[in-house]
Amino acid sequence: MHAPVLVLKDSLKRESGSKVHHANIQASKAVADIIRTTLGPRSMLKMLLDAAGGIVVTNDGNAILRELDLAHPAAKSMIELSRTQDEEVGDGTTSVIVLAGEMLHVAATFIDKNYHPTVICRAYNKALEDSISVLDKIAMPIDVTDRATMLSLVKSCIGTKFTGQFGDLIADLAIEATTTVGVDLGQGLREVDIKKYIKVEKIPGGQLEDSKVLKGVMINKDVVAPGKMRRRILFPRIILLDCPLEYKKGENQTNAELAKEEDWEILLKMEEEYIQNMCMQILKFKPDLVITEKGLSDLACHYLSKAGVSAIRRLRKTDNNRIAKACGAVVVNRPEELQESDVGTGAGLFEVKKFGDEFFAFIVDCKDPKACTVLLRGASKDLLNEVERNLQDAMSVARNILKNPKLLPGGGATELTVSAALKQKSSSIEGIEKWPYEAAAVAFEAIPRTLAQNCGVNVIRTMTALQGKHADVGNEWIGIDGNTGDVVDTKERKIWDSYNVKAQTFKTAIEAACMLLRIDDIVSGIKKKQAPAAGPTPPKPKAEEEGDADSEQILPE
Amino acid sequence: MAIVAQTPDILGERQSGQDVRTQNVVACQAVANIVKSSLGPVGLDKMLVDDIGDVTITNDSATILKMLEVEHPAAKVLVELAELQDREVGDGTTSVVILVTELLKRANDLVRNKIHPTSIISGYRLAMREACKYVEEKLATKVEKLGKDSLVNCAKTSMSTKLIATDSDFFANLVVDAVQAVKTTNAREVKYPIKSINILKAHGKSAKDSYLLNGYALNMGRAAQGMSIRVAPARIACLDFNLQKTKMQMGVHVLVTDPRELEKIHEREADITKERIQKLLKAGGNVYFVESGAIALRRVGKEDLRHVAKATGATVVTTFADMEGEETFDSSLLGHADEVVEERIADDDVILIKGTKNSSAVSLILRGANDYMLDEMDRALHDALCIVKRTLESNMVVAGGGAVEAALSVYLEYLSTTLGSREQLAIAEFAESLLVIPKVLSVNAAKDATYMGLDLSKGIVRNNLEAGVIEPAMSKVKIIQFATEAAIMILRIDDMIKLVKDERENEED
Repeated sequence: MHAPVLVLKDSLKRESGSKVHHANIQASKAVADIIRTTLGPRSMLKMLLDAAGGIVVTNDGNAILRELDLAHPAAKSMIELSRTQDEEVGDGTTSVIVLAGEMLHVAATFIDKNYHPTVICRAYNKALEDSISVLDKIAMPIDVTDRATMLSLVKSCIGTKFTGQFGDLIADLAIEATTTVGVDLGQGLREVDIKKYIKVEKIPGGQLEDSKVLKGVMINKDVVAPGKMRRRILFPRIILLDCPLEYKKGENQTNAELAKEEDWEILLKMEEEYIQNMCMQILKFKPDLVITEKGLSDLACHYLSKAGVSAIRRLRKTDNNRIAKACGAVVVNRPEELQESDVGTGAGLFEVKKFGDEFFAFIVDCKDPKACTVLLRGASKDLLNEVERNLQDAMSVARNILKNPKLLPGGGATELTVSAALKQKSSSIEGIEKWPYEAAAVAFEAIPRTLAQNCGVNVIRTMTALQGKHADVGNEWIGIDGNTGDVVDTKERKIWDSYNVKAQTFKTAIEAACMLLRIDDIVSGIKKKQAPAAGPTPPKPKAEEEGDADSEQILPE
Repeated sequence: MAIVAQTPDILGERQSGQDVRTQNVVACQAVANIVKSSLGPVGLDKMLVDDIGDVTITNDSATILKMLEVEHPAAKVLVELAELQDREVGDGTTSVVILVTELLKRANDLVRNKIHPTSIISGYRLAMREACKYVEEKLATKVEKLGKDSLVNCAKTSMSTKLIATDSDFFANLVVDAVQAVKTTNAREVKYPIKSINILKAHGKSAKDSYLLNGYALNMGRAAQGMSIRVAPARIACLDFNLQKTKMQMGVHVLVTDPRELEKIHEREADITKERIQKLLKAGGNVYFVESGAIALRRVGKEDLRHVAKATGATVVTTFADMEGEETFDSSLLGHADEVVEERIADDDVILIKGTKNSSAVSLILRGANDYMLDEMDRALHDALCIVKRTLESNMVVAGGGAVEAALSVYLEYLSTTLGSREQLAIAEFAESLLVIPKVLSVNAAKDATYMGLDLSKGIVRNNLEAGVIEPAMSKVKIIQFATEAAIMILRIDDMIKLVKDERENEED
C-alpha cells in the first residue's frame, strides 16, 4: 500500500533474535577451538605469521589471540577476556577462553529449547557464586618464605609452557626477580611491581642456562668515550641526571646580533664556560660514573674523562629510574643542586661487557636492589621472545602468590571438585534455573577434558574415573597429570595453581558468557561519529606537549 | 502557467495528509521495535558494531538510538526524545520511546476515523494533565514513609533491567551510599551533585569486586618515580598552567646585543619555574610538586581538576601574577585532604585523594570481565545514580513494573466517560496506550500479554510497592509529559518535504 519507510541507513546490517544467539555462541566456540590445543603440559605451539611478515611462536593464549584479526564482534569480546586475564593475573589465559566457550556451548541447547537468556544468566551467576565458595573451601594456604614450595608452585604453573622442558630454570629466575623487587607495604601486604622494576633483556647467543637475574641493572649502552673512560669500576659512586650536559638552547626564540668580532668570541667562550661549570659542579661530588637521560657534548665528555669519570648518555627514563632504585641514587635535574645524598653508592661493580658485537653496561652487585634486570640468553630471537612471555607468566604467578598465598589443586582437579559440588547442589534448586545451573557444572569439566585430550589418553575412560572419584567427599585433590595422563593425587605430584588465577578465570569466563548471552540484536556498519558520552573521557594529550618533561622514549643518537 | 503556480518548484519529494502521518507512525514503530526488547528486568541487550569494528554492548535506549544512524525525520524526533529523557531524568528512556509510539499509533487510527488531529491533541493534553495530577496526588508515596530501603529499592528497580541485574542488591547499596556521600547542604536546599561521583573503570576481577571509594580517584601515576607514594595530610594546589621552562607566547623575538644577556635569558627561563615551585612549597602545597616529599601530577583533565578543586576546597589557579605584577601564591588557595596516595588497580596506577575537606567526592571503582562490560556497567550505574538522586529530590515514589500505568489507565478510562466532547475518544485511547508498558514487560517476560493487562488492579499496585519495585514519581511524570509532547508534535505534521541531496553527497554514500 505504501512505499516502505526507511528508518535506518541502507548500509546498516541488523540481525536479531535467536539467530544472534547462535551466531555469538558459534563465534565464541570458534575462538575457543583455536587455542584449545595449547592447554596443559602436553600442549602444542602455534606459529603465527603477522601482517609485517614476522613470526610469533607461542602457546600463550593471549599472545595468539592478540595477533588474530577477527571480524565477529562476539569473538572480539572473547579476545578481550584473554587480555583482561593477562593483565590482571598474567596466567590462565587459555583456560579462561576454553571455559567461556564451553559455558556458551552448553547454553545453546537451552536457547534451542526457548529458555529465556536472563534465566540462564541468573543460573550461571548463581553457579559462579557457589563455585567461588567451593574454591574458598578447598584452598590451601602456603608459606611464601619457603622457597622450595614456591619453586614447585611456579614450576607447575609454567609446566605447560615451552620452557617447561628446561626444568627449574625459569621458575628460579621468576622467584628471584620477584622477591628482589618485592616491597613490604606493612600489614603483611606485599607489592611487586613487575612492569616498572623488572626489566627483561634478551641477548641472542649463548645458552638458555646462562640466563640469570642480575643483582642490579643492565643497559644496552657503552660509555661515551671508549678508551678514555674506565669500563670497570669497583664500588662506583653514581650520579644520575635527567638534563643535557650540553649548552642548552633556550625555550624562547632568541636572536643575537653581534656588532663586534670580540662579542662572537665571548659568546663561544660562554658556552664553553657554561659546560665547564656544570662539569665542575658534578665533579665536586667525586663520582665514578655519570649517567644522563639526555645528550652529552664532546666538551663535557672531555672534562669528565680527564677527571677519570665514566659517562653514559641518552638513557631511557624507565631505565634511569631502575638504576636509581638499584643503587640508591636520586635522579637530579640541575647539576647546581646536587647533594651528597643524591649520589648512589649501593652498587658493587660497574662493568661494560661485550656480547656479540654490542656493548652492555652492567651495574651489579647492589647492596639492596629494589629493581633488577633478568638477562635471557638463547639460540634465536623467536625462542627468546617465547621465553620472555613464559617468564612474564611465571613472574605474575609468583606475584600472585606473594599477594595472596593460597593454593588450589591443578590438573583439572579444582574444576572437577567445583563441578561435583555444583551438581550436588543443583538438585536442591527449584524451578527452571535448575537445568542451566547443572549445565554450568558440566561445563567446568571442559578443562580436565581438554587436558586429557591434549595428552592423548582415552578421554572418556579418564573422565569417568575422575568423576567417580570426585563424587565422593575427600578426593578434592584428584586430577590429571598432564604429562602422563594418569589420574593422580595432585597434592603429591605438586601440581598446583594459585588461587587468584583460578578465581579470576571463573569470574571472567562466566561474566563474559552472561554478557554475550544477553545480546539479542546486532547492528553493524555504524559510522563512528563521536565517542558515546558515557563515562569520563581520558585526558587528551595536549598539543603543546614538550619533550623534556616526560619523554620516556630514547632519543635518536 | 497556472500549473506551475500550483506546484512550487521543489527539488525533492513532497508528501502530505494521511500518507505522512502513517509514514511517521510506521517509522516511530520501527524505532520502538528496536528498543522494545530491552525493557524490563528480563530485557535483553543489543550489540552495536561500528565500521571500524568497535563494539558497544548496551541495554540503554538512549545509547542504542544515539549510535544508530536514524534517517527518518520523525524517527529522529524519537531519538532526541530519548536523549532528552536521559539528560533530564537519566532513566526510563525505553519507556518513553515505547509510549510515544503507542500514542501515535492510536492517534493515527482516530484520524483515520475522521477525527481531526487538533481534537486528539487537546484530548491528549487533557489526559496528560490529569494523569500527572493523579500520579502526584494519589499514586505517589512519600519516601520518608518508606525509609532508606526505598532508595535502595529504587536503584534496584532501575538496575534490574541492566546487565548487572543479578548483583543489583550489591550495586544498589553502592549507588545509594555514593549518592548520600556527595550530599551537599546549602542554606536553602540539599543537592546531590552526581557529577562529583567519579566512575573509574578497571578491567579484571569480577563485577562484585567493584567498590566505593571515599575520595577522588585520578587515573594516572605520579609525574616522576622519585616522588613519594603517600602524603598525609595533603595540601593540594590546582594549577592550570605549565610548570615547564617559561616560553613566550606567539613567537616573540628577543633581540640582544650583549652576548652575556643571552646567557641571562636562559638562566632566567629555568629559574622562573624553580621560583614558582618554591613559592608553592612555601605556601605549603605538598601534593602536585616534586621534591621535599610531594606528589605531582601532570596533564590532569580539566573536568577532573575542577572536581578535585571542589572536593578539597582548592582554587584553580591560572596564573601566579597578582595586581602588582609580582608572582605570588597564597596558601589560602590550597585545598586540603587527609591523604593522597598512589595505588595500583589492575595494571594501572591510580592516585587517590582521600578524606577531602569538603567531602563531596567519591569514586566508584568498577571491575569486570572486559571493557565492553565495564562500559555497560558504567551506563547502568549512571542511570541508577540519577534515579536515586531524583528520588531524593522529589521525595516521592510510585510503584514500578507497569503498576502506575495500569492504574492511570483505569482512572483515565473512567474520566473519559464523564466527558461529553470529542476529546473523550482521545482520552480513552491515551488510557489504552499507557497499558503498553505492562504489556511489553509481560511480553519480554514471555507471559501472556492479554492476561497481564486484564489482571493488573489496585491490589497488585500495592504489592509492587511492598515488594520494593519502585521508581521516583518524577521519572514517571516526566515520561508521560515528554511522551505526550513528542506525540503531539509528530501528530501535528501533515506535510513533509524532503529535499534531494546534493549529487556529490550521494556519490559519497
